[in-house]
Amino acid sequence: MATTSHSQIKRFGIGRIVEHQMNALVFAMLVITGLSQRFHEYRVSHWIIKTLGGVDTMRIIHRYSGLLFATLIVVHIAAGIYGVVKKHWPASMMINMNDFRNAIENLKYYFGITNHPALCDRYDYKQKFEYWGVIAGGFLMIATGLILWFPVEVARLLPGEFIPAAKAAHSNEALLAFLVIIIWHIYNSIFSPEVFPLDTAIFTGRISRERMVHEHPLELANIENVPVEEIVKHHHAARPSEGE
Amino acid sequence: MKEGKRFPVYLMLLFLAIAAAPPAVFSAEQGLPEDVLACLGCHGERGLSVKFQNGESLEAFIDANKYKASVHQSLSCSSCHGEFAGQGQGHPQRSFRSREQFSSRSSAICRQCHADEQLKRSPVHASLLTKENKAPVCASCHNPHTLTSIAGGRKFTSEKEQCLRCHQHAMGIRLRSGDKVSLKVDAAALEGSVHAKLGCYDCHFGFSGSQHPKRNFNSPRDFSIAQSEACRRCHFDKYTKTLESIHYSLLSQGNLKAPVCTDCHGAHTVVQARADKLQSSKRCGRCHQEIFGTYTKSVHGTALVQDHNTDVPICADCHTAHSIQGAHTQDYRDKVPEICGKCHGDTTLMKKYGLSPGVVNSYLQDFHGVTLKLYRSQENASEVNGSRKSIATCIDCHGIHDITKTTGPTTNLVKTRLLKRCQKCHPGASDDFPDAWLSHYEPSLSNAPLVFLINLTYKFFIPFMLIGLILQILLHVWRYAVNR
Repeated sequence: MATTSHSQIKRFGIGRIVEHQMNALVFAMLVITGLSQRFHEYRVSHWIIKTLGGVDTMRIIHRYSGLLFATLIVVHIAAGIYGVVKKHWPASMMINMNDFRNAIENLKYYFGITNHPALCDRYDYKQKFEYWGVIAGGFLMIATGLILWFPVEVARLLPGEFIPAAKAAHSNEALLAFLVIIIWHIYNSIFSPEVFPLDTAIFTGRISRERMVHEHPLELANIENVPVEEIVKHHHAARPSEGE
Repeated sequence: MKEGKRFPVYLMLLFLAIAAAPPAVFSAEQGLPEDVLACLGCHGERGLSVKFQNGESLEAFIDANKYKASVHQSLSCSSCHGEFAGQGQGHPQRSFRSREQFSSRSSAICRQCHADEQLKRSPVHASLLTKENKAPVCASCHNPHTLTSIAGGRKFTSEKEQCLRCHQHAMGIRLRSGDKVSLKVDAAALEGSVHAKLGCYDCHFGFSGSQHPKRNFNSPRDFSIAQSEACRRCHFDKYTKTLESIHYSLLSQGNLKAPVCTDCHGAHTVVQARADKLQSSKRCGRCHQEIFGTYTKSVHGTALVQDHNTDVPICADCHTAHSIQGAHTQDYRDKVPEICGKCHGDTTLMKKYGLSPGVVNSYLQDFHGVTLKLYRSQENASEVNGSRKSIATCIDCHGIHDITKTTGPTTNLVKTRLLKRCQKCHPGASDDFPDAWLSHYEPSLSNAPLVFLINLTYKFFIPFMLIGLILQILLHVWRYAVNR
């Protein structure tokens, strides 16, 4: 039991790890160069703009970072579809009814109505929420970003009002994305008591079997080829003694 | 009763006494030399005159009273006019080309008594005597028949009184350039000026009751430029401001037409420059005629000229009065929203005219306004701004000196300017492109509803999302704590 709970389960390949770090980097760059324009009246924004070589240079950095972000998203989706079609991996990111059930079940668990958290598969509903948030928000940012980059061309096809509208959407969505990442993602990968001080999964590609039991029991059952009840039975039985 | 009867008799006797008294002229003539009285027999009456060859004429009247009061009262006529040796000795006919010739010839007579040594003691005379190729003409300043002592036998109570004693009269000098400069000072204007309490020497350094140094100026302009240096002694703050100005820079490059203090403020007539806004702007118009003309047709200029509205900006309000910058510099262009904003961001002032004070902020918060602000905040980093774009500001659409209303017949003019300005930086911008600029309107359901709705959605969506996520986090932490 002890040996199995400390053993590591591989979750991500090198491709996903590199993809995440690149995304993190590009996202940080976009946030820094973008929000300092939205919050231009703050001194820290002025410092950032000055350090990056002035607002013109910073806007160029922002646009090319955006281009890189768009490329990452397109490549990711293309690779995802290719993998699913070629059956290299299951379409485990797709949202299904179970995710809604899991969310309700987890709420019940939080309020003490049930005694175990929802039994989730490879990606739980929180991860899917964030993932699709990034995809949907990403497309919105790319589209509005392009409108702002090429206003003259856009105004030929669409009413002029679309340009300030795109600016409003781009700026607001950026703030939302930033806040979700800084609150939700940072909590889940750093401050959550289950992973504190750091969820190393995205650096090593592995997580402990114990976390798998707790967070992704269905996937673990699938890997170990045992019924899910078998996986969670030990866990729940062992739980009261863990506190000591 | 007796007294009462005698009274009319006394009164009559008094009237007789007055009637019998000789006229004042005769009383003045008493005590004058014999031959003077003889000459005055004719020259004491008005109407006599001498004609010169060039057609000029001179009245040959001598005021006996004034002559008696003059310093020359003890002299007889023949002392100066030797050829008219006295009564019955003949009255030679002489002929002069002009009055000037006559005066200069007569002045030679003065020098018979008033030697150079004596004259040089007075600074004024000293400067005249050393003048090359030109004999001083005493009569240009002094009328020999009415001449009194300069001090008039009394002490001057103020230096101004002393200077004005001469300078109140029409007098002038000819400078090397050939220009004649009037040295007359309008005493009334001086008293009405803000400098009424200053003395002459406060500005005219080197001059005093005993000093009247000779000054050398090529032209009146040279004098004005040099003299305006005097202003800085008191107005040093303004003077240092002018050092940064385009006018000073032009002047120091040798353009003598560039204005100095006195050109705008006047010399002896100095008044508060802003007291009269119309006059102030007219002063600029003296050199900047074309611009002033354009301005008077603008919405601001019309209000000033026609309605005497003093709320409107005049030249100095936008260009400043002393540190006037070149208006074609990037730096000045960048200041435009700030300049316009001084009035157009003023709620009470705009309310008075039914204008929106929000126009400045709607520009400043938009893409171009923010960019401009960021450029300006990095002014010191020249390498950053070296190749930067010129950002559209108020003047690009609303006009510079020809600022028009945005409503009424000039609406289309503003729109045309807007499109043109867009195309400057956004080549190929279509006719609809300017719609991307919301024309200072705050987005609302009727104006730019799309922008309004997007902002409204996020206004609710962002807090909703955040509160949801934070609750989820709190629940998660709580469950973990309970489980432990």
